[in-house]
Amino acid sequence: MNPFTVLGLEETADDEAVRAAYLSAVRKSPPDRDPEGFRRIREAYEALRDHERRLALRLFGPPPLEHVEELLDAFPTERRYVGPGLWLNVLREGRR
Amino acid sequence: MPKRQKHKHQRAKGPPQPPHDLGPEAWRAHVEALLARGQTRDAVEAAKQCLKQAPGPEAEALAVEAYQARIQALMTSGMHQEARALAMLVSDRFPAAQARVAPFIRQSELAAGNFESLLAELSAATPSRRRELEAVLTRTLHDPAVLVDSTALPGDHPLKRTAMAVRDLFSAVTTGPLPDGALAALDEISRHSPLAPWKLLIRALDAFYRGADASVRANLDGIPPDSGPGRLVPVLRRLLGESKPTEEQSVAVALLLDKVSGGRTVIEGHLTQLTHALNVRDVRAALAAVQAVLPRLESAPSGLRLTFLATILHHWHRQNLPPPALMRVLSRNKRDPDLVRLMALTIERPDWSDALVLWDEYVTAAVAGGSLPAQGPALARVLLHMAALFPSDAEEVWEFFDVESEEDLQRQIRAGQLPACFDRGGLLERARQADPDPQVFGALVAHFSQRQPKRAEAEAEAWRRAHPQDLEPLLYLIRGAESRGAVRKALNLLAEAESINRVHPEVRQSRFRLLLAGAERRIKEGKLALALTDLDRLEQEPRAAEGDHRAYLLALRWVVARKAADAPTIAQLEQTLETTVGNPTLHHLILEAVAGSFAIEAPKPLGSPSQVEVIEGLARGFDLFRALNRRLSVPPALLAQAEKGLKTASVAQLYALCTGGLWVGHPALTYAASSQGLARDGSLMPRFLLARGQALKAATGIEARERAQQCLRAARELAGRARDMETVREAAAALQALSAEGWFNPWMWDSPAPSDSPATQEEIQRTINAERRRRATPRFVRGIEPRRRRQVKPARRRSMRGMFEDLFTWMEGTR
Repeated sequence: MNPFTVLGLEETADDEAVRAAYLSAVRKSPPDRDPEGFRRIREAYEALRDHERRLALRLFGPPPLEHVEELLDAFPTERRYVGPGLWLNVLREGRR
Repeated sequence: MPKRQKHKHQRAKGPPQPPHDLGPEAWRAHVEALLARGQTRDAVEAAKQCLKQAPGPEAEALAVEAYQARIQALMTSGMHQEARALAMLVSDRFPAAQARVAPFIRQSELAAGNFESLLAELSAATPSRRRELEAVLTRTLHDPAVLVDSTALPGDHPLKRTAMAVRDLFSAVTTGPLPDGALAALDEISRHSPLAPWKLLIRALDAFYRGADASVRANLDGIPPDSGPGRLVPVLRRLLGESKPTEEQSVAVALLLDKVSGGRTVIEGHLTQLTHALNVRDVRAALAAVQAVLPRLESAPSGLRLTFLATILHHWHRQNLPPPALMRVLSRNKRDPDLVRLMALTIERPDWSDALVLWDEYVTAAVAGGSLPAQGPALARVLLHMAALFPSDAEEVWEFFDVESEEDLQRQIRAGQLPACFDRGGLLERARQADPDPQVFGALVAHFSQRQPKRAEAEAEAWRRAHPQDLEPLLYLIRGAESRGAVRKALNLLAEAESINRVHPEVRQSRFRLLLAGAERRIKEGKLALALTDLDRLEQEPRAAEGDHRAYLLALRWVVARKAADAPTIAQLEQTLETTVGNPTLHHLILEAVAGSFAIEAPKPLGSPSQVEVIEGLARGFDLFRALNRRLSVPPALLAQAEKGLKTASVAQLYALCTGGLWVGHPALTYAASSQGLARDGSLMPRFLLARGQALKAATGIEARERAQQCLRAARELAGRARDMETVREAAAALQALSAEGWFNPWMWDSPAPSDSPATQEEIQRTINAERRRRATPRFVRGIEPRRRRQVKPARRRSMRGMFEDLFTWMEGTR
């Protein structure tokens, strides 16, 4: 996955922004609670930690995903509150 | 057939004609036949006709039967109001059939959302009837508010009070986080209550929003699928990621999934469709899915869009689908720099020339658009990358363009017959102008060293001026001066190099080598006494005691004696040399090499050496001549003999043969020796991996490059652990060169790990095991030998733009 996406950064991010995004992401996915998430964050940070690497990624990346569906991983797993209406609509639809 | 015509056609066909003058039995058979075919409306018409022609109880029963089927059909198709109206009509017209029709009336009322009659009956029902009615309610209740708002249920009815709590909690749980203990009211609902499934649903929803997925599943498992809330069970499972998207989902379900998941489930559906379309090479469906995904990416970070573009281009190309159709969908701007860049990256593996043209397009568009500065490291990196796309063998480039030489190629470029981006030197010069970085200078020196040595030295001089603390240009200039015999200049440069880094291996070796060059020059000039003085001084150098250095000095004394025609000394030196060396192969290699460089005849070999002597002599010879940087010409027969006897070689000899094989431009020997070396565990494992990687780097084919990368990564990691910094440095440099030759690494279809990521222990072991299993020897590119003039071949069409012709035609449409 594109390291910029993993850390939620724009391509113009500087060292400081990368470091801050890394620390913030690690707080959300510490290695003991989310080892897989931490691994992805760490890899992303390694890929972006200095200007040279970011430049290379910007010019010669991002690498394509092996499977198109992997793109879904970049979308956060959200659980939004939408009120009762939409849920009840499904049930009302079902009764017909 | 157009819809209208089809309809007309059906209308014209019409219902089956009723029979004339039939008896009751025939009528029944006819109606039943219609019902069996599902033609309920025709069945009702036929039954009505029967009733008209032959009224009586039988005809009435037949009519009721047909009406029942019709009512059922209307309910099945969701026409509950119509079903209810028909059921009421039947109930009025056929009072005897009221009991048969009543369930339909009830069912259609419930389906239409009217629970009043059921609830009225419920409030006054006997216990057994109540259970029946509650079972119906459990199946049909789609909203607890129905119970709350019912006028048929008294205000203090327990079901109404519970429904009120359920309604409020359902609303709360879907609107925002609930405080702890908020669901306590649900505990009062018994598992026999019609609201029991709702209790489980609310608990499942609460757990869902708290992220307690196991609890969600446990609650969902308890909800009967045929209950009112049962329809939400698969929806929640879908939101948990337990099931894949299906095409049959209703509008309400799709909307709910989209809103709750923040669009994720919709994207997932499109991506699934896209994958399927790509797999079956359905361009239209794939384009539709791409078009559906793109708007979803607009609000996402730019990196996500680029990842999607890179991925879709990669898979599109892998499935060999036509690029223009996709490009049209991906961007309205044919020269969208990102798109052109990603397209270039996608195709550069199979087609370097087309990729170069696209990269050139990218540079032009990106600089014009301001996304790539007209000067600076970014532009230099792109230009370096472009230069690295050319095949490493210059002749391969000439062959591709049907030219005879570099000059020929340059002429065509100057005449405008070929784009300027095919001038590799020009690209590197532009890179230097953009950013005079050591890496750019290194590439320039390497480029010109094979084509224009003077130009290469000029670039090294410029590099030295721009980066005075860089050792590499000095070392290059030292080697150049040494090869020209400019020993004094080389020594001056060496003094400068020593002031920068005295412990660098090449710097340390250079002094002895340059003094040696001075002595050799004196011999060539006929200044034999001075040469002997130089040799005396060399004997005092610490390095003279290393390896077979002293034997080489003896060989030079032998040359001096030969030049002086001093026969006793010649004989004595030959004897001393034979004793000192103690190996006929090495003895012959040394004498033949020095004799060759001074144009004197070498003595005949001392006899036919054994396999063991060949291996030992060759290994020592490689070490000696490599350390002295003296040309060693090894007869092919000797190399072949060595390759056959590698099983008897020691680990140290194998390593010497590995490095020597590369040094004399015979990577096949390196490959063979590294095979033996890798088979033996030991401290030299990192070095054998390095040699293997370097040999594979010289082989043709992408697979060999990928294997080279894996070997080099493993070598670097293992050497790092063993603190073998020289191997670390060499492996890193080889990886960098490999990477510079193919920045496309991340784009490879079986993408190997990035070259700068450390190899894991598992990867290292996998690499070693894989290389140990290898039996076939790869094909190696030819060594650097004087090039024979190529025979003129008949002109052929360049393959440039071959498979991407339509893409370029499309892109050129705006010109």
